Amino acid sequence: MNIDDINLAYKIRHALDEQLDHLPASTVDRLAAARAAAMARKKSDARAGFGWRGLGAFLAGPAVSRLAIAVPLLALVIGMGGFYEHEQQQQLAALADIDAAVLADELPLTAYLDPGFNAYLESQQRQQ
Amino acid sequence: MATDKELNDFLQNVERRAFKQAVYAVRKDESALDIVQDAMIKLAEKYGDKPAAELPMLFQRILQTTILDYFRREKVRNTWVSLFSGFGRGDGNDDDDFDILASLEAEQGSAAAESSADQVERTQTLRLIDDEVQKLPTRQREAFLMRYWQDMDVAETAAAMGCSEGSVKTHCSRATHALAAALQAKGITL
Repeated sequence: MNIDDINLAYKIRHALDEQLDHLPASTVDRLAAARAAAMARKKSDARAGFGWRGLGAFLAGPAVSRLAIAVPLLALVIGMGGFYEHEQQQQLAALADIDAAVLADELPLTAYLDPGFNAYLESQQRQQ
Repeated sequence: MATDKELNDFLQNVERRAFKQAVYAVRKDESALDIVQDAMIKLAEKYGDKPAAELPMLFQRILQTTILDYFRREKVRNTWVSLFSGFGRGDGNDDDDFDILASLEAEQGSAAAESSADQVERTQTLRLIDDEVQKLPTRQREAFLMRYWQDMDVAETAAAMGCSEGSVKTHCSRATHALAAALQAKGITL
């Protein structure tokens, strides 16, 4: 755009601005009311979010809402801890059973490492 | 973050121009007021914590989106109205009832009461300019008003319109040439 175009644009702007002064009073009042309504609903910085601010808002909230969140959370943690403990006990018991079976067997463990013993087992299987 | 005073001052500064922008688009004062109110509330609710420097671009973007939403709602409403035209013919025909000549005549009637002939002439000139701005294609009008009326730079205008900076320059140039030609044709010199 050349200088003449820009000058024209600003003259039009001036004309449009001039018209704004002649808006009806009812329109101006309604705009002021709309602005007041918007300001009343302005987003504040103190609104709760995630992270430490959210935690702060949670702790500062009413006791009932805190309990409503804390009790199920505590039950979940206790439940997960109990399940983990139970699984550990099950694994230990299974390992103990295997150990007991191996130790109670008449055949020594080193027999399975002997190639001749393996050949004997295979021939026995073929005969059966 | 914009303080309450900064946000209030910003809204006070733009509210009248935003209203006229909405009127250019929808041609109904009441609907334009609703649109501006919605845009102001959305800005305050969702972006009230943004820096004051970002408010003009955000507000323009919200305003354009709110105007688009209005047209979408009108389209849906008009579809239903046309389906049940026998029951609600009067509801959807506000646009059809709009007569620019009738409105000019009525407003000229009030202007005629003013004492000075110069004032009447000036008022008529302003009205013709207003009319020509309204006749511009939507994107050209948006770009022109944001750049030269809302004092937004090319980058801000491009961000608000969701287009490239080159497109903004093209829209502005075409709008200015169209306005110059239209005003010259009517013998208006500024």
